[in-house]
Amino acid sequence: MSLAVEIHHATKSYGERNVLDGIDLTVEQGSVTVILGPSGSGKSTLLRAINHLEKLDEGYVRVDGELIGVSVHGERFRELSERAILKQRARIGFVFQAFNLFPHLTILENVVEAPLSQGLPSSEAKARARTLLTRVGLADKEDAYPRQLSGGQQQRVAIARALALEPSVILFDEPTSALDPELVGEVLAVIRGLAGSGTTLIVVTHELGFAREVGDHLVFIDAGRIVEQGPPSELLDNPRHQRTRDFLSSVL
Amino acid sequence: MTNVLRRTRPLGGASSEPPRLPAEIDLAKLSERKVLPLRHPAQWVLTIVVLVLVVNFGQTLFTNSEWGWSKLGTWLFNPAILTGIRLTLLATVISAVVSFVAGILVALARLSRNPVLSTLSWLYVWVFRSLPLILVLIFLYNLGNLYPSIGIGIPFGPQFQVRTVSVLTDLTLGVVGLSLSEVAFSSEIVRAGLLAVDQGQHEAAKALGIPRRRQFTRIVLPQALRSIVPAYVNQIVGLLKGSSLLFYVSLLDLFGVVQSLGSTYPTDIIQLLVVASIWYLVFTSVISIIQFYVERYYARGAFRVLPPTPMQRVRRALGRSVAPFSPAAPASTTSLREDAR
Repeated sequence: MSLAVEIHHATKSYGERNVLDGIDLTVEQGSVTVILGPSGSGKSTLLRAINHLEKLDEGYVRVDGELIGVSVHGERFRELSERAILKQRARIGFVFQAFNLFPHLTILENVVEAPLSQGLPSSEAKARARTLLTRVGLADKEDAYPRQLSGGQQQRVAIARALALEPSVILFDEPTSALDPELVGEVLAVIRGLAGSGTTLIVVTHELGFAREVGDHLVFIDAGRIVEQGPPSELLDNPRHQRTRDFLSSVL
Repeated sequence: MTNVLRRTRPLGGASSEPPRLPAEIDLAKLSERKVLPLRHPAQWVLTIVVLVLVVNFGQTLFTNSEWGWSKLGTWLFNPAILTGIRLTLLATVISAVVSFVAGILVALARLSRNPVLSTLSWLYVWVFRSLPLILVLIFLYNLGNLYPSIGIGIPFGPQFQVRTVSVLTDLTLGVVGLSLSEVAFSSEIVRAGLLAVDQGQHEAAKALGIPRRRQFTRIVLPQALRSIVPAYVNQIVGLLKGSSLLFYVSLLDLFGVVQSLGSTYPTDIIQLLVVASIWYLVFTSVISIIQFYVERYYARGAFRVLPPTPMQRVRRALGRSVAPFSPAAPASTTSLREDAR
């Protein structure tokens, strides 16, 4: 198995507070990694560092072997130009907690926007978008505007939008946290459908049931460090650390 | 009975008891009848007073011969007035376009991370927001005394120069003066609009790898325009009226023509002022109609269902008299689709 994502010594602080305190993590290609942790533990920051929405103070991230957001400059890393970073991001999908669909564009326009900006011909981008909308069960909504959809539908569009660039890795930042309980299932079902499709998924979530069922590898983070990691059965049923046990019992 | 219904003010918050209804009232029977709306007698009195005042004023329009309505028609399309209108409209339209584009650039400069650009932008807004428009105009008018020629070039190196008086002709002077002051305001309107766009939109655009220029033109600006348009149109109306100050630098705009005709025909001054008022009202009305549809365009997606246009309202009212129970929702959903195309 080859590595899709490699994070080494990821470190970041806001003033005195260490949000990420030297995290090392590797993610295998095509696998589903679930990141768990209390709020403020740094899990979202870690996820956002993978596509360089957050800059690291120290350490590096590699996706498919390529350094993200920086290049080697003599003895140090140097920040890449914004244009180069934007280009790299096209290969890394990101799904936000708050969906962040473009409210002034229709559903179809939302999904074709990124491919069009990469120079894909309109007809091709539309065909691809329609296939994806069918895949997330929203083929009949392409002319609607995001605010006319339910939260669950919006998040499914956001997933289709992230898929439209055919990324090798998709990052999910608490994709169901902003949803009403009865809408969580439809979004998780779509994510479950992506597992095993060859795309690497990294999911920050509080849904332990989902983590157990779909996750290949679970990572528990607290105070900017990885407390423990392993397959779901191990981490959820036989946690080795007290910190993990406390967290799991508070979530359940 | 009144004793029971009287509202008793509780002494303490805890001891308050809901007022009890007398037993003989049959609530079940009352509940079958329509609830009576609250009456507003004071509103009726006020309405009558206002109507009386309006009719009084309306009466003077016919009885006071000084209005001289018969002379109005001859002035309304007087050639001199029409040339004045031409200058007013040209100066307003060109300044409005220039200030909008320049306003975006100044706002972007202000928001940029480059400290030189952002400070310069701040200074510009500070200066031109502070100076009265008339002062700027008269300053420009006399610029030839300060700088007989103006030019651009490498500092202490070769220069490209022209005579000030030959550049600042009538219309140019008007447009430059109006725009200089207008940009200061429009840039602040644009900046407010840009800041109002949700941070998540910027992040989503970045995360999708959309190139920077496209992020601005396709994602951020269209959303900002939703709040920019109403404020900016207000600004354009101000500009239209502000163009009347051009008269003070000897330019004959609509107001200027009216003023000079007024001194030639002093007996017709009232009619001339009415003519100018009518024209300004017409222009502002046209601007308002355009504003309605532009705002509507940028509101797409902002509501689940867009409110109907006046035309749709009329059509629906007519349709309702034919089919009283036709639901309103499907019609407006269709209109939303139409707007999207």
